[in-house]
Amino acid sequence: MKSFLPILFLLFAFVAAAQIPISGLITDAANGDPIIGATVSLKGASRGTISDIEGRFRLDVPDEDALLVISYTGYLPQEVTVGKQREVRISLQENSAVLDEIVVVGYGSQKRSSISGAVSSITADEISELPVLRTEQALQGRVAGVSVAQNSGSPGSALTVRVRGTSSIGSSDPLYIVDGIPVSGLDFLNPNDIQTINILKDGASAAIYGARGGNGVVLITTKSGSKNQAGKISYDAYYGTQSPWKTANLLSAREYAILSNEAHVAAGVTPLAEFANPEALGEGTDWLDAIFSDAPMSSHQLGLTGGSDKSSYALTGNVFNQNGIVGGDKADFQRYTIRASGTNEVKSWLTLGTNINFTALTRNGLPENNEFVTPLVRALNMDPVTPVRKSNGTYAYSRYADTDITNPVNAIDQTYDRWHSDRVVGLVFGELKLMPSLTFRSSYSVDATFAKQDIFYPKFDLSNDPVLADAPAGEKRAVNSVVVNNNTWKNWQWENVLTWRKVVAERHDLAFTVGTSTIESSHEYNGGANTNLPSNDPKDAFISNTIDPIASQSAYGGASESAWRSFFGRANYEFESKYLFSASFRADGSSKFGVNNRYGYFPAVSTGWILSREDFWESNLVNFLKIRASWGRNGNDQIGNYGYTTIVYSGQNYTFGPNQVITNGSVALTSANPDLKWETIEQTDFGVDAEFWDGRVSFTGDYYLKNTLDMLYAAPIPLTPGTAAPVTNVASVKNRGLELSASYRNRDRAFKYSVGGNLAFVKNEVTSLGAGGEPIFAGRVQSGNADVTKTEVGQPIGSFFGYVTDGVFQNQQEVESAAFQNENTAPGDIRFKDLNGDGAITNADQTYIGNPSPEIAYGVTMDFEFKGFDLGIFLQGTQGNEIYNATVRYDFNYVNRPVSVLNRWTGPGTSNFEPRVNLLDPNQNARVSDRFVEDGSYLRLKNVQLGYALPQTLLKKIKFEKFRLYVSAQNLFTFTKYSGMDPEIGAYGGALNAGVDRGFYPQARVLLGGVNVTF
Amino acid sequence: MLPSACQKDFLDRKPLVGATEENFYRTPADAIAAVNAAYAPLQFEADPNGGGVHFRWFWGDVMSDDAIKGGSGDNDGNQILQLETFRGPTNTANLETEWSANYQGIYRANVVLERVPGIEMDGALKNRILGEAHFIRAWFFFNLVTMFGDVPLADHVLAPSEYNLPRAPASEVWALIESDLQTAASSLPLRSGYALADLGRITKGAAQSLLAKSYLWQERWAEAEAVANEVIISNEYQLVTDYATIFTQAGENNAESVFEIQYMNASGGNYDGGANEGTFTSVFQRARGQFEGYGFNIPTEDFVQEFFKEGFEDPRLKSTLFRVGDAMGDRGIFTKDATGGFPHDYYPKKKFTYKSEDAPFGDVNVNGGTNDRVIRFSDVLLMHAEAAAQNGNEVGARTSLNRVRTRARGNAVGILPDITASGQALLDAIYRERRIELGLEGHRFFDLVRTGRGQAVLGPLGYQEGTHNLFPVPQSQVQATNGAIRQNPGY
Repeated sequence: MKSFLPILFLLFAFVAAAQIPISGLITDAANGDPIIGATVSLKGASRGTISDIEGRFRLDVPDEDALLVISYTGYLPQEVTVGKQREVRISLQENSAVLDEIVVVGYGSQKRSSISGAVSSITADEISELPVLRTEQALQGRVAGVSVAQNSGSPGSALTVRVRGTSSIGSSDPLYIVDGIPVSGLDFLNPNDIQTINILKDGASAAIYGARGGNGVVLITTKSGSKNQAGKISYDAYYGTQSPWKTANLLSAREYAILSNEAHVAAGVTPLAEFANPEALGEGTDWLDAIFSDAPMSSHQLGLTGGSDKSSYALTGNVFNQNGIVGGDKADFQRYTIRASGTNEVKSWLTLGTNINFTALTRNGLPENNEFVTPLVRALNMDPVTPVRKSNGTYAYSRYADTDITNPVNAIDQTYDRWHSDRVVGLVFGELKLMPSLTFRSSYSVDATFAKQDIFYPKFDLSNDPVLADAPAGEKRAVNSVVVNNNTWKNWQWENVLTWRKVVAERHDLAFTVGTSTIESSHEYNGGANTNLPSNDPKDAFISNTIDPIASQSAYGGASESAWRSFFGRANYEFESKYLFSASFRADGSSKFGVNNRYGYFPAVSTGWILSREDFWESNLVNFLKIRASWGRNGNDQIGNYGYTTIVYSGQNYTFGPNQVITNGSVALTSANPDLKWETIEQTDFGVDAEFWDGRVSFTGDYYLKNTLDMLYAAPIPLTPGTAAPVTNVASVKNRGLELSASYRNRDRAFKYSVGGNLAFVKNEVTSLGAGGEPIFAGRVQSGNADVTKTEVGQPIGSFFGYVTDGVFQNQQEVESAAFQNENTAPGDIRFKDLNGDGAITNADQTYIGNPSPEIAYGVTMDFEFKGFDLGIFLQGTQGNEIYNATVRYDFNYVNRPVSVLNRWTGPGTSNFEPRVNLLDPNQNARVSDRFVEDGSYLRLKNVQLGYALPQTLLKKIKFEKFRLYVSAQNLFTFTKYSGMDPEIGAYGGALNAGVDRGFYPQARVLLGGVNVTF
Repeated sequence: MLPSACQKDFLDRKPLVGATEENFYRTPADAIAAVNAAYAPLQFEADPNGGGVHFRWFWGDVMSDDAIKGGSGDNDGNQILQLETFRGPTNTANLETEWSANYQGIYRANVVLERVPGIEMDGALKNRILGEAHFIRAWFFFNLVTMFGDVPLADHVLAPSEYNLPRAPASEVWALIESDLQTAASSLPLRSGYALADLGRITKGAAQSLLAKSYLWQERWAEAEAVANEVIISNEYQLVTDYATIFTQAGENNAESVFEIQYMNASGGNYDGGANEGTFTSVFQRARGQFEGYGFNIPTEDFVQEFFKEGFEDPRLKSTLFRVGDAMGDRGIFTKDATGGFPHDYYPKKKFTYKSEDAPFGDVNVNGGTNDRVIRFSDVLLMHAEAAAQNGNEVGARTSLNRVRTRARGNAVGILPDITASGQALLDAIYRERRIELGLEGHRFFDLVRTGRGQAVLGPLGYQEGTHNLFPVPQSQVQATNGAIRQNPGY
């Protein structure tokens, strides 16, 4: 009760006193422009006001000792004693120091300067600078140690996000928490709604998330209204056009025929009669041109924020549309989002709040990054002799291309694959102020997705003669079919957190947090299919819409669920704002873990020392210096729901009876592992944060060592038991890295600018694959008819593995003196290195030929402002990674080739790299070798944006707070040696398939214009 | 939703779909499902985990002088080319898949033999199920011992500590096969003793016939003749009148079918599922080009000439393969242009399916429904003839042999006269009859090896007796067991 008395006393005092009316003007110290919407409050009272459109305000104060506090986002707050003034002029300094920014950490927030772990932040400004569909794209190149790569340029496609390297051969995806709600994937989130993104990179920061934090934690806070803020309406929109930035140079029809003839002759096969006169064939078809087209992209957002002295609210709506540069509306993405949030101080001791997001998204999809059925791989491999259409206007088929390589334009036309989901992510909370220093918060959240996929396979036939049905199998479909899949994901979470914070004797800053978390997740699916629909119109594609509804109809369904129960706590202690200590602990129980390991325990400690606050610190150059160290243990629980148990699988069928009835069989396919548990990740981090020249230069550096222990891996077992290898916690991986980021900013004059950069080195190494240490081969490519990656102890995950080329045989004598490759090896074939020197080229002559993971990833940002103009430049790139180019289907004889094949060997001295052409390729020149490994490094001008904001003087007249127009270009330039369509290749198909280009959907170059209006 | 969080067993979640081992194997239906699951690997052709494919005809036909690999060139299934030219690599996915399918089948049969005895159920049914499992286990060990020789003798469900089981001598494997088949023969019903709905299940006759074949491999001629004779005199099996009908859809499970692996056309995509009900063989063996196949298992000229050696064209030739100008069912006329320009003169016919028999699925390379005729009654007759000839019962041998020729002759006059030879000539006639009667049915390579003719016939192709009579053990198994499994000599 003691602490309440002075407040009561003050309240009475105010009521009794006479009031002094004060007026004022608030301006920007740099340019003298009025500041609209700044908060003016009376210290020690709940009264306050907001500056108007001219930067003016009025406020009654009780006496001349009254202290005004003026604050505005992005500016340093100022306090003014009223004294004799009746009209006050206040000029606010822009806040250039990041040290005082509040950073959201797990279950709380801290001042940047007080953090002893490795936490990186991205602000709304940085996010809005690059208009993108998915939030993950906004992370790219912004933060040292967070690498992001598109899995495909197709709109809405997922991205590969790695915080500090690939920490598992399984999932290395970070944990995403949006406003306290753990969510799977961010496609539902409108990037415009984001206020800040904070990434917990080190083990200690993430350890408060225990078994789920091992791959790093991405904490996203959405925009909300603030108290005492006048209602604001904002409208933000952009419209742009996307176009391909690169094409592949492929053979013309004439060149194709010449090479085909040569390949036939070399193989002793009669050349095709119709290629007798290649010149007559001319240029032929440009299949890439046929599938690419410009495509629009647009976003419209309407927002409403505001607040009174007790409450605040925010409401936004967004419509986003993007078509694909391949496939147009067959690869489009539409998203509608509505977000509503609000808080209300119901009582001085109770605040209630809510935050609800609804998203409806629709995505039409084309197959991505495989070698079989993607439009890209077909366009790259389809012969140029075949026209897109026959003379009668219908699509043509190729007489040469084999099975997979069908007319890509027709294939796109025949694709109907639509995914629609409705998702609600929402939270309600109550916050109790039990004592001034003690807060209890309870929150309940739901993340529910209702998704439906509609697929229709229409009938079609590209035959020249409908009776003969002469088109090859892939170019016709005699019977249409329809497939419908329904999925429902539901997650709920209930969290209770008690926070106590107190500064004792002005030197000891103590904070304790304890809490519990309970989560339940479920997934249910059902679906059905039917064939032979009388109508071939996709609008009629319903399962029951068929002639014979019973015979060909199928249905299926199933469900799974999981549950967590967790307890956590953290203690922070700060002495004299110089010495920082933090310790945390989490216990996680999960149904995913085996009965013998149901609970996991995750401790962490960290410490920091702010040297610059010591008395002995006298440097004027370095105004802030902190060194810090942390250690934490986390887990990765993305291990499947029932990995510990043995399921007796049905569906191991056989047929019996004269009518061959499918009869169920059931058996367990793996043995059980009751010991199954999370993957443990232990991380040690050393860091330094510094600021120079009054905060104009800031620098952060971190070195970390991240060990993934107990990595889940189905270490191969012999085939003798007849069951698949059980997944066990046997393997381990080590990531080591250095992260540097620095920025310089100068906002003192009218010309304001800032330059920033970040750089991360990471080294990945597999340290164990279980007792036998059997390497893992993966990443099969059709062109080489073999796996391209090998994961082995001592090597990075998913390293490229194959033969080493040693030039081209120039003559028969060279063939004979080299190691034996094949009986029919001839001059013009590639000489492979006989690494083990046994005189023959065998499997034993394969070695490591490349690493798909970059050694260095970096980003550079530059921002300039002058008299209302702003220019933002953002560059991003990687260095030291390789790409395996598997886009040419060498396993087929009649596919098109890149023009590089024109430099083929045709006689002694003609080429020492490009082998001869031969229809049968007896030497297997296309086997997996370093010939297809290319430097994947790139530097990309990711974004340039030029904007102009109307000056305040003009805005005043039209009663606007902000009016800004901008133009922006994404992916304007890309510098790379990679010959494929796009060097930015994610880990499509998982860590063991990273960096393999199988016909990648390239990213678009985007030119757009937009507007930001607030009033 | 909230209250459940308070339950004590909140974290205890059992799978919602599928049973676990603790709550299965309780009812007769569970017993039947368990044995059905053991049948499933009979159909396995592609490894469910990716990797290679394996077919009986790879080993029986392509490896022999009857056929070559085919496909779209040397790189298409190159490992098979290397094997058939006896330059075999030891790490082929194809052999690994073969090894894997056999041991999966053995594991599943072992599960039945260990779990079903404890189920309370009708004794006769239980007996039958156990008999089926004994046969299935014997069949997979038969494949293994004839291909690889000594193999790990997994005669029970292996515990993790036993995963590195070394190879046991072939004699022990043969002993288990013999005992399994004897048990199966005594517990299984005759073919006629099954309900129609159970057509396709293993019969007493199948067990006896495989036992006869096992005895032949071990040159135990007297026992082979006796057990083959039991099948013959059981009157459960007859040669059908028209040889040509055997390999049609209508000819599935016909009167001379002794052991047939069941396939149906009910599955779509084919390369990724070991658990499919269809056979990929149909696609593999169809010509390329407009016939939408892969053009594998191309018959050799030497094989075709065998059909002309008696001075006339053996009528079985036209049921065995396609020649240029033949109609490939309803898929068109066989010309070299229509087959994608490949220079092959022949394509195999016994696994051919009509387009009208394809399942109406979106996949262009739908699985075929052709059953794999593993043991036909004519095989039993020829096994009987061979064993009888070895035992000196030449009358009995000629009787069985000429039964096969008589049927092949049909109503034709002046061809396929009864064989009257004796001694080695009689044996040679029986061997030759096997090549023709059972051509492209996956027997040839094994017949050559079994009868010691490998070097003489396949030597020119690179075959070395002492090495190539056995296939290389998949090298992955040598590695996975840290050398506990040793490689075959010569590899």
